[in-house]
Amino acid sequence: MCDTCGCGTPSRRTIEVNERLLASNATAATHNRDHFAARQIFTINLMGAPGAGKTALLEATIRNWRDVSRVSVIEGDQATERDSARVRAAGATAYQVETGLGCHLDAAQIHRALHRMELARGDLLFIENVGNLVCPALFDLGERLRIVVTSPTEGVDKPLKYPPMFRAADIVALNKCDLLAHLTFPLDEWTDYVMATNPRALIVKTSAVSGFGIDRWLAEILQRRRAFLERHSE
Amino acid sequence: MHELAIARDLLKTIERTLGSDQARVLRIDLSVGSASGIASESLRFVFGILAEGTRAEGAELSIATTPARGRCVGCGMLFEFEGMIGVCPGCGRLGGELLSGDEMALRAIEVADV
Repeated sequence: MCDTCGCGTPSRRTIEVNERLLASNATAATHNRDHFAARQIFTINLMGAPGAGKTALLEATIRNWRDVSRVSVIEGDQATERDSARVRAAGATAYQVETGLGCHLDAAQIHRALHRMELARGDLLFIENVGNLVCPALFDLGERLRIVVTSPTEGVDKPLKYPPMFRAADIVALNKCDLLAHLTFPLDEWTDYVMATNPRALIVKTSAVSGFGIDRWLAEILQRRRAFLERHSE
Repeated sequence: MHELAIARDLLKTIERTLGSDQARVLRIDLSVGSASGIASESLRFVFGILAEGTRAEGAELSIATTPARGRCVGCGMLFEFEGMIGVCPGCGRLGGELLSGDEMALRAIEVADV
């Protein structure tokens, strides 16, 4: 009740909170990152629209990574184990997270997956996020490298339409470059849009189907993994 | 609909802040950067549903959008902008380095004793 006159109006008070939203996800992500660092597991969060070629690029990576280390994959999809089956066939171990209504993976889901996986020291771990150019951008999973896979069939202006996703990327892979000859896709304009959204992004052009750019793609990942291993060796 | 995850997190934070306080939440003050990618209407919609039956049921969700700050990679000018991507007022170049504007925070809650 009102303390002043007893009029019956409930007294109002303000409680200052000043807390970041999604702080619980940030805490879980830090926990995952520490876990990966202690075990020298280089982790890549692979994001992009459905059909950009994330799984195809992953298959090409797994086939070419045999002599370097084991590859493990956490697959996030709304439904089915189809992608897990594909990356297993290519030679990786896989754990499928079916997100159901969820449009993205979060750090707690990755934590739970880690408890059910048998990761070895030095593994390369890919997290293939739910195909979506919006939601996954906001959720740190504890990864070391964020890669957005996109393709010329998605149109030239996607970086401007989905800035948080392109801004989150360390590397933007333009996949399906074998199709460039058949499409009207002004590459310079697209590059300008990526740079306008995220000036620090590295663009790598690939084709998982023809093999174009795969050597460069592998080299960029290898180089970053090597730097990570040097930083986290005992 | 990442707003669902944000609304869930917001409700948890409010419940934790209230603890055993039997107050009713009247108003929730959020501050959201214009480049954060949060759809205010979606957040209000899902929060309204999630809050049913809790101490925050019917609370007004007040979302203050703060402008983002960027640095032009062409001329180096610092500038403020609304929305997700800006244009340099100095040289007209699109975009740039985002210095702030992707943050989301719960500032305060206003409660009434019951």
